[in-house]
Amino acid sequence: MTVDEAALGERIPAVRVVTRSEARSRWMQEVLALVRRWWIELLRERLNLVFSIAQPAIWLVFFGAGVERAIDTRVIGTDDYISFMLAGIIAFTIVGNGVSGAMPLLWDKETGYLDRLMSMPIARSSVIVSRFVFQVAQQSVQITLVVAVALVLGVRIESGPLGLVVILLAAALLTMSVTAAFSALAYAVPQHGTFFAVVGFISLPLLFMSNAFVPLDAMPFWMRVVARINPLTYAIEAMRILVIEGWSGRIVSSLGILAVAAGICLAVGTREFRRQTGDRVRG
Amino acid sequence: MSAVIETSGLGKSYGAHLAVESLDLEVGRGDVFGLLGPNGAGKTTTIRMLTTLLAPTVGSARVCGFDIATNAREVRSRIGYVMQTVAYRGLLTGREWVEIEACLYHVPRKEVRHKAEEALGAVGLLPDADRRWTEYSGGMKKRLDLACGLLHSPEVLVLDEPTLGLDVQSRHRVWDYVREQRDRGATILLATNYLDEADRLCNNVAIIDRGVVVVEGTPADLKRAVGADLVQIKTDNAERLRTVVAGEPWIKDIVMADSGSLHLYVEDASLALPAVMRIGLEQGIELEQMTYSQPSLDDVFLLHTGRELRETENAS
Repeated sequence: MTVDEAALGERIPAVRVVTRSEARSRWMQEVLALVRRWWIELLRERLNLVFSIAQPAIWLVFFGAGVERAIDTRVIGTDDYISFMLAGIIAFTIVGNGVSGAMPLLWDKETGYLDRLMSMPIARSSVIVSRFVFQVAQQSVQITLVVAVALVLGVRIESGPLGLVVILLAAALLTMSVTAAFSALAYAVPQHGTFFAVVGFISLPLLFMSNAFVPLDAMPFWMRVVARINPLTYAIEAMRILVIEGWSGRIVSSLGILAVAAGICLAVGTREFRRQTGDRVRG
Repeated sequence: MSAVIETSGLGKSYGAHLAVESLDLEVGRGDVFGLLGPNGAGKTTTIRMLTTLLAPTVGSARVCGFDIATNAREVRSRIGYVMQTVAYRGLLTGREWVEIEACLYHVPRKEVRHKAEEALGAVGLLPDADRRWTEYSGGMKKRLDLACGLLHSPEVLVLDEPTLGLDVQSRHRVWDYVREQRDRGATILLATNYLDEADRLCNNVAIIDRGVVVVEGTPADLKRAVGADLVQIKTDNAERLRTVVAGEPWIKDIVMADSGSLHLYVEDASLALPAVMRIGLEQGIELEQMTYSQPSLDDVFLLHTGRELRETENAS
């Protein structure tokens, strides 16, 4: 309610003023309620749960066992390919999760449940934020598992247990970028067909145009340029340094760039979400 | 403030296509207001504007005194909206859904369980509360949506064709639900293309067609405007009765039917019936049987649009 409206003498009923702390607790309630929904949905899909949690660890084993011998260890800068690959597999997992994580949003949009949500007095951000919270939590379990498997396979994390925490942080930042980007896509496309066409087209290039499998130094110049604007590269860089080298100042700059990327993707995601609900009234 | 929903010149167009031209509606507190019209008349578009899901291109509307465009959030917290199509609710149980939506409506945490039980009870879903949504029948899914519309005890309930595609038993349950909510003091906006439904439930209806209000009023008034009620009388002395009642001011027309019964076309059957009985008694004419029929809202629709509602349904 604005002063102008009151000045026009229109009949405006009393609005119960919501304090800031009350608004925050309402928002928390919304996000938690939606996280509960995502959580129950995941639990009810046992096969989905098992496969998505176990997949990265299995990938690591396959890659480690299969590709290691074909790799020139002078190019990757370490003689342990699994140590090198660990960060790549984590990034690979995050991209995969970004796609599957956007699907419930796409689904809600197509089945009409999004309209139901939008008719409720909830903050527009609760839906996307609940998805982030859920994704980061689910992914932290996956990453912990894949690191555990790596340790069993003989990988040593040079930065120690605290390094694992920073690895999870880098993963969380990348998750924000990727989830926001794919959510934006889910809201932007007219139908799911376009979503999957675009996802199929960009997922693999996104991975190969980064340092996930090949170090930047081994790339031709043009590819290195592309990789340098790919947020995946910075997440992988930070994680890889933590695994192979230990603590380094480069981690800070990588995480900084990653945070900026997450911010940009989030802004685009929010814009697309608003556009999708744009014919509607703002909340 | 008596009007709970008021619209003025409310309209929505998509490019050149005019979904709703210009609507002026006023729904009073405690009304069960029927929005009637064939498919494509603009009912759902109107409802989507009133529930803040769609921004109007022209005109304005207020719900509970709040402008739908500038105070959307206040509007949302006061309405319960049950969509036309059942929302897909996947693998969760009925109770889980109701509890989650209660949280989305900011029901205080301690009351969520209780409120959920109450809403499930109101639609008779408590025995099935812990079954998964996917196992529900169509009628149960609809009832779950109806339960979710009640969680914040909304002042206004907006129901978009709530009985579409339901069996008879489920329809009756929905009707009971509407009556209960009305008795609780809620204002109800009910879009439907079942005229009998509007006739049963609504105290006021607006018939809309091609995005404008064609006619508005109580169902009884609208039907009365169509013309005459019909009173059919079976008696052994039809000729005499005919001459006696012929001069009465409330008679519009008298026809002696082939079956031998007397057909009186009158302005209002509820007034004509006692009058005929009194005359029969006074004149010593024995009346064997009397039946009467009123015009239906189908006739109202036909009168005002020149088309039968059923035809339009089939055409679209």
